[in-house]
Amino acid sequence: MTGPVALKTAYIVTWVILLGYLGSLLRRFRRVREEMKDFKRGG
Amino acid sequence: MKNLFIAFVVFTLALLAFSTYQALFVAPTEQTMGEVQRIFYYHVPSAWTAGVCFFVNFLASVAYLWKRNLASDGVAAASAEVGVTFCTIVLITGPIWARPVWGIWWTWDARLTTTLVLWLIYVSYLVLRRFSAGGQTQVLAAALAIFGFVDVPIVYMSIRWFRTQHPSPVMGGGENSGLDPAMLHAFFWNLAAFTCVGIVLMVVRYRLQMLEEKVEATHAAAALQGGSR
Repeated sequence: MTGPVALKTAYIVTWVILLGYLGSLLRRFRRVREEMKDFKRGG
Repeated sequence: MKNLFIAFVVFTLALLAFSTYQALFVAPTEQTMGEVQRIFYYHVPSAWTAGVCFFVNFLASVAYLWKRNLASDGVAAASAEVGVTFCTIVLITGPIWARPVWGIWWTWDARLTTTLVLWLIYVSYLVLRRFSAGGQTQVLAAALAIFGFVDVPIVYMSIRWFRTQHPSPVMGGGENSGLDPAMLHAFFWNLAAFTCVGIVLMVVRYRLQMLEEKVEATHAAAALQGGSR
């Protein structure tokens, strides 16, 4: 792995991890909100 | 409060864009390593942010054991998860940087090993929270967090206490340490940006934790009502 390739890889990996984590948080938010809505509808 | 948070998110995004520009285009190229040294501007701030998150986790765990309030536990859960995320970045960007510079991906020196141990401690903390059933989970998690935090100063001091493959500290490392002022600017911009990203993620994760607790409490109350009929 050459220097410039390593640099690009490291920056891309950082962004993928951060955005992936943020995406997973937002998915979990949506799921919990839907669960709450379903519960209110049912109860 | 919501508007304030949105403003902070916008500020963080602008800061991130600016700090990345500083790291890639403004900071001078390091003479020995060349372009690959720019990984430094993401690698070290990620390590710093992970350390801050684990410190918040430590404080929140102490507060939880003392007061037993749900908010402290929520902060502890949020900060541990965000800390693990940043620690993962450190453990991946480190070897990517090491390969062209050292010729190897990994070595079992004190800094790398203690960082891996730190990551394992907090992953086990998250596993404990996720899969442990029963009323003592939060207490056990808080106790693990307090003992686990001991590794944070060990990671920090490892390059001072031991001779390592990992470079000596560039700041506060004695006579021959230090950074070029232009590098220092880029570094501090990235340090600020990553800290802000850490805060944003912790706030979002905390709100999710509180919402999950609310749903769980609602389910429990409904089950109790159903059972008493």
